[in-house]
Amino acid sequence: MRRFVRRPDLGIIIGCIFIFALFSLWNPQQWFNWGTISNIGQYTAVLGLLAIGQTFVILIREIDLSVGSVYGIVGITFIGLESSNVSVLMSFIAAMLLALLIGLVNALVVIRGKVPSMIVTLGGLFFYRGLIYVTSKGAVTGTPQAARENWLSQFFGGHWLRIENGFLLFLLLALLCATVLYQTRFGNHLFALGGDPASAESQGVPVDRIKTSAFCLCSLFAGLSAIVTLANNPSTNVSLGTGMELQSIAAVVVGGTLLTGGRGTILGTILGAFFLTAVRAEMIALGAPPSWYISFVGIALLVVVTINTLLAKKLKTA
Amino acid sequence: MIKHAPLRLLAGILSLCSLFVGAVFAQGDHYRFVMVSHIGSNDPNMNWLTTSMKTFEEKYPGVKTEYLSTNEYSLQNFISILNQAIATHPDGIAVPILNNQALQPILDKAISSGIPVVAFNISDPRPVGQRIKYLTYVGGDEYLTGLKLGEHVIELANAGKIPKPTRVMVANHDATHQGLKARARGMTDAMKKINVPVDELIIGADPAQARSVMQSYLGTHKDVNYIFCVASWSSPWAYTVADQMGLKPKLADKGLTIVTVDESPDALEGIKDGKVLECNSQGFWLQGYLPMEILYFNKKMGMSPISDVVTGPIIIDQTNVDQWIKFVKAVIGEDAYKKQLTW
Repeated sequence: MRRFVRRPDLGIIIGCIFIFALFSLWNPQQWFNWGTISNIGQYTAVLGLLAIGQTFVILIREIDLSVGSVYGIVGITFIGLESSNVSVLMSFIAAMLLALLIGLVNALVVIRGKVPSMIVTLGGLFFYRGLIYVTSKGAVTGTPQAARENWLSQFFGGHWLRIENGFLLFLLLALLCATVLYQTRFGNHLFALGGDPASAESQGVPVDRIKTSAFCLCSLFAGLSAIVTLANNPSTNVSLGTGMELQSIAAVVVGGTLLTGGRGTILGTILGAFFLTAVRAEMIALGAPPSWYISFVGIALLVVVTINTLLAKKLKTA
Repeated sequence: MIKHAPLRLLAGILSLCSLFVGAVFAQGDHYRFVMVSHIGSNDPNMNWLTTSMKTFEEKYPGVKTEYLSTNEYSLQNFISILNQAIATHPDGIAVPILNNQALQPILDKAISSGIPVVAFNISDPRPVGQRIKYLTYVGGDEYLTGLKLGEHVIELANAGKIPKPTRVMVANHDATHQGLKARARGMTDAMKKINVPVDELIIGADPAQARSVMQSYLGTHKDVNYIFCVASWSSPWAYTVADQMGLKPKLADKGLTIVTVDESPDALEGIKDGKVLECNSQGFWLQGYLPMEILYFNKKMGMSPISDVVTGPIIIDQTNVDQWIKFVKAVIGEDAYKKQLTW
């Protein structure tokens, strides 16, 4: 019990139980509707994939503000190549390689240039968005019918037993990442680096390698999130991914990961993404203007971070 | 050889005259007009403007046109480009009035220094006596776009060709865009005439998010039977959501009906396939061509129209969609047309 209370994601677990009970009583017909479940599941997967990547970076006391633009540019590359008659598999590989390259560049500038990650990735946010404007020329792009029916497009965007494949993939990757985080040396190094970088370095943690891996994973997850989105809705536009960086950070922080690093869980991130998505869906269903959602995210962030900080202080003194 | 002296004199005078007249016309035709625009390479509509300006140049050889634009929606950058353009002393400027307060001092100065100005795409909303002293405005009207599309729906519904609207959802991806808001307002005013409620839903520009928002809304607003997508690229998203929810969005099904805007490949092919009822054109081609021609005739003959030139909306539906498809393919090219299709 004591161990459970000490969990960093305790706040979001309680929050999710609370909204589940609230919506079950308030609007059961809509809440238990398969359409609603599928809708929430699909967007939780998209946001959750972005947020899992962000978790790795935040755990090591860094941040990646470029994920929204990475999501956009990887998505536009994927669809752009497909529409130029490149095979879906090759388009996927090229798009993910681009994501990997972006992660590497971010890490390189942060590590070698000693530039704060907030500045590096903020620059990335603008640079990649600019590239989207220039390369896409503002045009909305779609994919040929054959590419949509391809097995790989179906793998990311299709269904299995009425459940979206993107959602299943998200759960699978979340499980894998949780295992990596808690059962491997790499995970241990991530926590150590985020908790106390100087001490981690003195203990022989390969700081540069761990940071590089975290930034690469973050960009790869952003790219994968875009591909899951576009395999399902195969169209791009210049705004693709705008604002997603802040949503992903919100999901991670609401999920209990500390912005100061060293403390957080993948379960918390998943629940953070679910919490934000479910509340928005229900707010709209109950007739609140969708614009209120932005205010809600702000309030949720303030409340959760305050509770987490208070809990952390209490646990330290206990 | 002309041997007779008076004839030689006459021939000399005539050739001098022809040289003089030629010089006058040649000089008159060597104008340079600049279009300073907020529609940059990040916007497919730029092609309409640049293509029509090219057509203008072909028709009026010797007249040079230049297209300068920002790539982002930044008023500050726009003003900087406008100032640069004015500093080169062009023979005329076409400019959208993005912000009348900010552009007034700059354009007043340009006009008083003898540079004629035509407003295009976005006008100064103030009355004629108070607005910037440009020659005329050439462009569409966002409010009229929503209004006319709505009135066309009512007309077809009254004729029994499509279902009567019960509730309309306006799918808007950008809550801050005044033009999109005006389109929504136009649709709302059209529907007011038949007491049909209109809800504006901010869906966002990401396909996954937009789908999630629309699904949540449509799940509880069962009386919605029309969706007005204020950007054509969101119409396939709306169609997919409605289709997956069993709302029968195909026109032949008489379930939910989708209306959108612009002469984009998505809108046109949607109409052709019976997935979209109608869209509109705000006459972008004319917005590139006419300002140049107005500047030309103003410079050459001192003429200018006495009222604004409203170039749209032109309603596109099943009756005229084929000719628009041909037209759009001719402007943006067959390949780009296919690539932009997201259905």
